[in-house]
Amino acid sequence: MTNSFTGSNVSRRSFIGLAGAAASIPLLAACTGGSSSGGGGSKTLKFWNMPWGNTSFNPLDKKITEAYKPANGLPAASYQEIQWANFTQTFSSAVASNTGPAVSSGGGTQAFQFESQGAIAYADNLLNSWKNNGLYADFLPGLLDAMKVPKGYAAVPYNLDMRVLWYSKSLLAQAGANVPTDWQSFLDTCAALKKIGVYGYGTSAGAGSFTGGHILVSWMINNGGGLFDQNQQPNCVTQENIDAMNFVLECVNKGYVDPASPTYTSANAQSQWKAKKFGMGFDTAGLAQNVGGAALDDLVVASPLTSPNGKKGALYFPNNIMMYKNTPSQEGSEAFLTYYYQNMSPLWTQATGIGLPPLKSITQTKEFQANANNVKVINEWQPISKTWAAPGGTALFLGVTTVDGTPAMDTFTQSILGGKTDAKTALTNLQNAIKANMKS
Amino acid sequence: MSTSSIADQVGRAKRGVGVSGSGRSAGPRKNRRLRAKGWTYIIFTAPALVLLLLINLYPVIYAAYQSLRNGTLIQGGDFVGFTNYIDTLVSGNLSPAFWQAALFTLIFTLVGVFGSWVIGLVLALLLRTRIPGGGVFKVLLLLPWIVPVVVSAFSWNWLVATPQSPFPMLAQSLGLGNVLFLANPTLAKVTVCVFKVWISFPFMMMMMSSALASVDNNVYEAAKVDGAGSWQAFTQITLPLISRSTYISWILMTIFCVNDFPTIFLLTGGGPVGSTTSLVVLAYRTVFENFQVGPGVAIAFMTTIVLIVVSVILYRQIRKASVE
Repeated sequence: MTNSFTGSNVSRRSFIGLAGAAASIPLLAACTGGSSSGGGGSKTLKFWNMPWGNTSFNPLDKKITEAYKPANGLPAASYQEIQWANFTQTFSSAVASNTGPAVSSGGGTQAFQFESQGAIAYADNLLNSWKNNGLYADFLPGLLDAMKVPKGYAAVPYNLDMRVLWYSKSLLAQAGANVPTDWQSFLDTCAALKKIGVYGYGTSAGAGSFTGGHILVSWMINNGGGLFDQNQQPNCVTQENIDAMNFVLECVNKGYVDPASPTYTSANAQSQWKAKKFGMGFDTAGLAQNVGGAALDDLVVASPLTSPNGKKGALYFPNNIMMYKNTPSQEGSEAFLTYYYQNMSPLWTQATGIGLPPLKSITQTKEFQANANNVKVINEWQPISKTWAAPGGTALFLGVTTVDGTPAMDTFTQSILGGKTDAKTALTNLQNAIKANMKS
Repeated sequence: MSTSSIADQVGRAKRGVGVSGSGRSAGPRKNRRLRAKGWTYIIFTAPALVLLLLINLYPVIYAAYQSLRNGTLIQGGDFVGFTNYIDTLVSGNLSPAFWQAALFTLIFTLVGVFGSWVIGLVLALLLRTRIPGGGVFKVLLLLPWIVPVVVSAFSWNWLVATPQSPFPMLAQSLGLGNVLFLANPTLAKVTVCVFKVWISFPFMMMMMSSALASVDNNVYEAAKVDGAGSWQAFTQITLPLISRSTYISWILMTIFCVNDFPTIFLLTGGGPVGSTTSLVVLAYRTVFENFQVGPGVAIAFMTTIVLIVVSVILYRQIRKASVE
């Protein structure tokens, strides 16, 4: 019989070949480059940067990069924008084949992963040299410490991704509620907002949105807890963490959390803010800009909450720039980065949408000071914020890659925000998953 | 040329006798010519063969290699034998997630294949009848297949994600309460499966339309004369005559469903709480989010093997249908 689809006879062998080829797609999806042949550094120093801001970010960043005039004998820099989509594969395959960049930004924990695999050039010499030109002292407090691993500095802080508490001025006024200052007043404000049909704990933990999990860890850190101890081992089932998660579960059970939020994307959450269904909640420092419109004036950053333990704290992500061993010239990489950090301020002063700056000098510019929310984040939230390594330490390390946007953290977050678990069980499951992932 | 002479020539060919020859074996010169011809074929097809091997065989072999090691994204790692497979299937921390994903993949595939086939077949049968503007309908019905899945996923997200979305509002107005299409694990599974059927039925409709076009109308007329009703005509004539295309479409859709990454990943990311994580999504997340390359590739490898087995079984049905 003739196949009406192809109009020709299909032999079993050819069909099985076709089926096998199609069936190999999952293998292609999961197959990664692992060899280290070929490549090698070219004479140009490759700088790869991510789209950190709006559409104006990369063109301006490229302009800054290409304006670099290297000293005699040092390589010039070339610029490459790397999309967030599949960036892990992009970097991994490039590094494995020695065709990667000499200098790059990337995921917040990327430097620590590559450092553990021997691909990173430590920034100790660079930072020492910056002690002479003022750059070293210009970093905001605690940032450089977050980059230090036992063998040296794995990276240099680049932009800060903060998690802060936002509220809607108009909705709080409508509900007759006060801006919360501690956990009890947070519950009170949520209760008042609920009376006008508004959620007080706005969050999102769906496809591609890891904010929900970040905020859960923020509550833990706020209460003096966190996920890792001083030996960089998971220590999730602590009283501080249990209390923090019980508090979140209380918010869930009292209806202060949108029940659909476990599967909200960032866009869904922003649409809820826009629709005035979220009156308060935790998000990135760029929330007001992302929501846009009337929210620009209506959304305000609150001060950090004080926990029942009398502590303040939140999770933050010091995104960074790293240098690789595969470079045409280590001296060239360092010279380029010195130039870049001395000339990168327009990325913030020209409002390209990048996260908050790592340098005090940029936070003191009049352009930055014009945004009251950003100033509050830098003045009040940055000093009390901690990394994934809390409470055991400040420096990031390889183990944090087991919680940064991983299935284990997603499951934990969606379980808590779904309200179908208890704090101890959820934290125990998370602890076991982290331990297992760290072993493998 | 008469029929008998053709049959005669075919018989001679089967016996290895040339069309006009006496039946003597080919001489050495002819053998050389045939050998030269063979080499020519090989030389001409070699580039395509090499490309095919590189594209299809290399990933399979390299995946097998990676699945037996404990490497990272940039290092090969040490040989660990079948540990990754055993951990995934039986004893490791991935085992529960693997079996949960395997069950969801099965449900997703069964609903995706048969749901889209039923709708596709019904629409193909409807489109056989002459209706004004049938061409426009065909184009409109093809839209879910034509539109990029990224766009479809965002559209569906808009339709169901928040309480103010159209479908939850409709459910609310029907007195069903606050229906959480994506946040409730069971409803999320249903939503993802329905989404898959929605984007897949046009393909099935095309396959079935094409198969139905090859069925001779005289057969129906003869059946009508013999007193067969519509249902009998459908079950006794239509379905058997399009069975070969049906099996092929099932095989292709099975492969599409098992390998479907974007539909699930864009709509739910595999959540909530892993309820819509399929094997392909699990493999991706294991490799690129958990950085467990060996176990992740082992999952992908096992998925591929199961797909090949299912394809072969269904292909045998095609042969059976051809014989019948």
